[in-house]
Amino acid sequence: MSLELRDIHKHFGPVRANDGISITVETGTLHGLLGENGAGKSTLMKVLSGFHSADSGEIILDGKTIKLASPVDAIAAGIGMLHQDPLVFLPFSVIDNFVLGSPGERRLDRAAATRELNELSERYGFNLDPETPARLLTVGERQQLEILRLLWLGARVLILDEPTTGISADQRAKLFVTLKALAKEGMSVIFVSHKLEEVADLCERVTVMTRGKVVGEAELPVPPEQLVEMMFGQAIEIRDRDQVSLGSSHLALDSIRTATGLLSEEPISLEVQAGEVIGIAGMEGSGQDTFLRICCGMRAPKEGRVAVGGQDMTGKHYRDYLAADVKYLPAGRLEEGLIEGLTITEHFVLAGEDRSFFVDWGAARKRAVEQVEHYTIKGTEASTAESLSGGNQQRVLLAMLPAELTVLLMEHPTRGLDIESADWVWEQLLARREQGTSILFASADLDELLRYSDRILVFFSGRVIGELDASATNVDEIGLLIGGRRSGTEGVAS
Amino acid sequence: MSRVNSVLLPAAVVVASVVGLLLLAGTNPWDPLKIIVEGSIGWPPLEEGAARKVGDTFMVWVPIALASAGLIVTFNAGMWNIGIEGQIIMGAIASAWIAREISVSRPILVFLVILAGAVGGLLWGLLVGVLRTAGGVNEIFGGLGLDFVALSLTTYLIIGPWARSGVASTSGTDPFPEDSYLPALGAIKLSPLAVGIALLALVGVWLLFKGTLYGLKLKAVGRNRPSSFLLGIPTNRYLLGAFMICGALAGVAGTSQALGFHQRLIPAISGNYGFLAILVVLLARFRPFLVIPISFFFAMIAVGSSSLQLRLDVNPSLGGVLQGVLVLSAMFGLGWAGYRALKEMSASEAKAGSG
Amino acid sequence: MFSKRLIKLLGVLLAFALVAAACGDDDTGETTATTTTAGGGGDDTTTTVDDGDGGGVMVDDFKLGLVLVGPKNDRGYSQAHFEGAEYVIDQLGLTEDDLIVLEFANTTDTPGLSLPGTAQDMVDLGADLIIFNSDDMRDGAFEAAELIPEVPMIWASGDSAWAEGKDYQANLTNLKNTWGKMTFGKMIGGCAAGLTTQTGELAYLGPLTNDETRRLVNSAYLGARYCWENFRGEDPADLAFNVTYIGFWFNIPGVTLDPTQVVNDFIDGGADVTLSGIDNNVALIRSGQRAEAGENLWGVPYDFVGACDEAPDICLGVPYFNWGPAYLAAAQSVIDGNFTADWKWSEPDWSDINNPDTSVVGYARGPGLSAENAAFLDTFIAGLADGSIELFQGPLNWQDGTQWLGDGEVATDFQVWYSEQCVEGITGVCSVNVFG
Repeated sequence: MSLELRDIHKHFGPVRANDGISITVETGTLHGLLGENGAGKSTLMKVLSGFHSADSGEIILDGKTIKLASPVDAIAAGIGMLHQDPLVFLPFSVIDNFVLGSPGERRLDRAAATRELNELSERYGFNLDPETPARLLTVGERQQLEILRLLWLGARVLILDEPTTGISADQRAKLFVTLKALAKEGMSVIFVSHKLEEVADLCERVTVMTRGKVVGEAELPVPPEQLVEMMFGQAIEIRDRDQVSLGSSHLALDSIRTATGLLSEEPISLEVQAGEVIGIAGMEGSGQDTFLRICCGMRAPKEGRVAVGGQDMTGKHYRDYLAADVKYLPAGRLEEGLIEGLTITEHFVLAGEDRSFFVDWGAARKRAVEQVEHYTIKGTEASTAESLSGGNQQRVLLAMLPAELTVLLMEHPTRGLDIESADWVWEQLLARREQGTSILFASADLDELLRYSDRILVFFSGRVIGELDASATNVDEIGLLIGGRRSGTEGVAS
Repeated sequence: MSRVNSVLLPAAVVVASVVGLLLLAGTNPWDPLKIIVEGSIGWPPLEEGAARKVGDTFMVWVPIALASAGLIVTFNAGMWNIGIEGQIIMGAIASAWIAREISVSRPILVFLVILAGAVGGLLWGLLVGVLRTAGGVNEIFGGLGLDFVALSLTTYLIIGPWARSGVASTSGTDPFPEDSYLPALGAIKLSPLAVGIALLALVGVWLLFKGTLYGLKLKAVGRNRPSSFLLGIPTNRYLLGAFMICGALAGVAGTSQALGFHQRLIPAISGNYGFLAILVVLLARFRPFLVIPISFFFAMIAVGSSSLQLRLDVNPSLGGVLQGVLVLSAMFGLGWAGYRALKEMSASEAKAGSG
Repeated sequence: MFSKRLIKLLGVLLAFALVAAACGDDDTGETTATTTTAGGGGDDTTTTVDDGDGGGVMVDDFKLGLVLVGPKNDRGYSQAHFEGAEYVIDQLGLTEDDLIVLEFANTTDTPGLSLPGTAQDMVDLGADLIIFNSDDMRDGAFEAAELIPEVPMIWASGDSAWAEGKDYQANLTNLKNTWGKMTFGKMIGGCAAGLTTQTGELAYLGPLTNDETRRLVNSAYLGARYCWENFRGEDPADLAFNVTYIGFWFNIPGVTLDPTQVVNDFIDGGADVTLSGIDNNVALIRSGQRAEAGENLWGVPYDFVGACDEAPDICLGVPYFNWGPAYLAAAQSVIDGNFTADWKWSEPDWSDINNPDTSVVGYARGPGLSAENAAFLDTFIAGLADGSIELFQGPLNWQDGTQWLGDGEVATDFQVWYSEQCVEGITGVCSVNVFG
């Protein structure tokens, strides 16, 4: 099924999210849609899947112009959308989720549906048990379920919005195989991503978007530099690591241990010096979060001592750590960082040094305008936190950091950010490091860990399974440790 | 569909049905509104002889406005202070206690009575807050429970220790000594002091959230407690602060009820104005100055609805039904406004960039 | 089809929806204004202002204001007043429009209520006489009378106009008190209960505790004891009479005791006849429900002539108020220009206590009363009528054992009116609060 989008406009107020977009997707191709955050990719896909209606423009399917008033219309026309977070009802079983979206007039025949699910599942090499509760599925398996469901509903155009976020490398490989197979069968696949290498791996054609416009198209493969240039206008060079001389001890953990659960088995000791960057690796939920919370005083360890800048902080409150210039930035930027509904100016006032009872809003706004400019935040001083994109939220959070910082603890500093923003974040962090701030960051990005850390702590199953010198290790070694294998041994460490 | 149509069409339908129905019934649609106005502030408004009605209406307005001012604070702190009724009652009880027990010169007594109301409400509010922060009791359940305790306590005092001599009735206590009444204008009940305090409270709350760091932090705590905590705001202390401010204002509302309007203690001393204030605040969308007209309108209905009963021979519960219809209509309007706001928001979201 | 009243109600609601909607939009606001002018049929209320020069009013111009503590159809206290007021209207040849009624005049149902304001409203509507029907309205009635001294008012059940009374308000020269000697009605009801009980245990559902209610509890007990002793030949010591006060004239959830629950407790405790002293008919209804389930129960309701209708089979009769004649007399005095603010505590018309035109207190027998007991009751009433039966006569002790009336001493009106305690033989707390 061939698909053509012709001159799509979609405006939100003064913002032109889609400004005259035309794309043609041929039958049976894997078509990449590449662009940084905020380029208008999601909006375009929402138009195509019936969530938004375009202000103007045409959607032409196999030569016929179609009107999409809702997602139901879209799937009826054969356009299926796989969302970033698969729309799966967790308490329901796989088969219930499978039949849930079926059109109203179809009689609900579970036995038949189960049979069809099994057939489809087998055809694409998936392993889904119809009776398993969906909450036991991994994100990757939920995607598989969703893909099967869309196929079952008759999708002939499949849209995938950032499908690789949150799934394992294994599952990603499997997904790509499936998508290639589908394309061979005549399915048109639109793969939306901001990850250059994925698009280069998978797709046959790519359209690059920036600021609501199509800025380039290419038959793949092309040299990556060319795509980067389309996206950012210039090739970004990978900087070498600066050598920073380490200073006095900024954070010292002496045999800390929690009472139960994660980090309760083996005591952890660690000394971090001024200007040192410690990367924290591990599968999500292996104890990194608990560890960071102990470092900033939000959790008290059952045993052991914590010192900041040589001063014993054991048992002290989070706010005492804060006063000792220890700052923690968790992963959830809108959950544990920014405050929905408050403006950027208000955030700066809250984080500011001025503690006087009455707020001088004139001055505060002026400062905020300066900060917005200085940190190149896309938004105004009156923008609310939730109206910002992830990258800009991260910029605000970094702008809110106090001037003096002894220890900075961060989770996933660049998760979900485009390359430009991610580089910018690290520029800021490295500048802090030059000033002597010790940085501990948890990340799932091995490149990031290797590139910026001095040392890497690897967590596995609630304890530290390895401590590596970042300059003397490699991706393979970290990968093994994350999976629970100490190098040189065969079995999983227990 | 143009905006004009979406507003005018439903309005036209309503107009048509109203006119049709009222013509059928042989009355005109202006009457009920006029009667409410007439029964609460006089018609034409503030005509001679309406002083008493105006006074009553203002004295009903005072507790609603005070409670609303307090609720703006707790709502901004993210708390549903259902315990507001109990806080009004405890303020009334504390004021009543001073009024009954203390005899000093009039100005001092009036000051003490108001102070006692504030303290009584504050402590009762604090209790809700402590249950919430230290005991993990949801403020809605804790507040409801404490409302009930406060009501039981007034009933006990009225029928027990503070009963009229030889009488055990939940009807109410004897009127308090006149020296303790909030100073009123001659024979009518209107107390400029009470009205002044209510206005001051609303201005204060406006200023709190408009111009102070404390207010901004309260708002931050209300919108996102983990983020606020990470910013170094002592969230529990701020929650307690919100409950104390609200409790104190509600307590003064109780003072106004006990020593301004009723001039004695009755079980229904709160007049349910606390619950009413929740509606007022939601309708006013937490804006202190919008509270003034909205609560005044509710006060007009409260005072004027008996006139409606007298003049239209309609069921006395009409006042309540009317209130409900108004609230629903307003909510409908708000929903519409909210829908538009949402559209604007998604627009600005797109502007800031959603990929 | 819709009744006219319902249509009116809907119209009012829609009008308000319209007004609320209009607030949001200027254009609509203008539409409203034009609509009203176009649709307005000039239904303006004409207000007659009473010049209050004491010269009386024309009968045709007379309007009666009535402030009821409860609903006008409570099958109890307020309904009795409402029907009394309707009697006045009928007798004077006036129409419904000449009767201005406010229901639910209590702080629980109507928090923003102010009786002086209501009185002013009624005067604005042309009321020439205003009746406050409840003991609970004392302070409000005083305020109203003081503020509008030129308009005659009645506070039923009070003693503010009794020069010899404890609560005499000499300055309120326009506030009259009207009350009937319900003591007799309660004695008759008590007698019926004493004649009928099989368990020898009677219960009285009291409202709040004050002089008036103790007076009536005492009357009921003395009536029951007399008939138990004299017609059945039983020992007064074997007659149990328990009173529980709920705390107010009617039940307010969360504030008063729940009367239904109290009646259950009475019955579970062995009482088979429950006398009611509260404003509504909960006691008889509850007893009726339990009687239907097979229990041997009876009830004596209160206040309203038709109260037995809600559970006729178990109803022994109802002592009721017949306010019509007393209110008619007051209305006539206003019309004639000779209204006096006095205290009236009227006896029943002993020639026929159920004469609707003469007797302020009556007793309407219920089907639950046996023929044999009915005959005894006739004898008892005749005794009360001719004075041969005098129940407020010593020796009579208070509940706490102190003497109230010495041997042969007959209580004065003052003594009966201000009944400080329940009399000996009654169990239950009558003098202090219900919480003990």
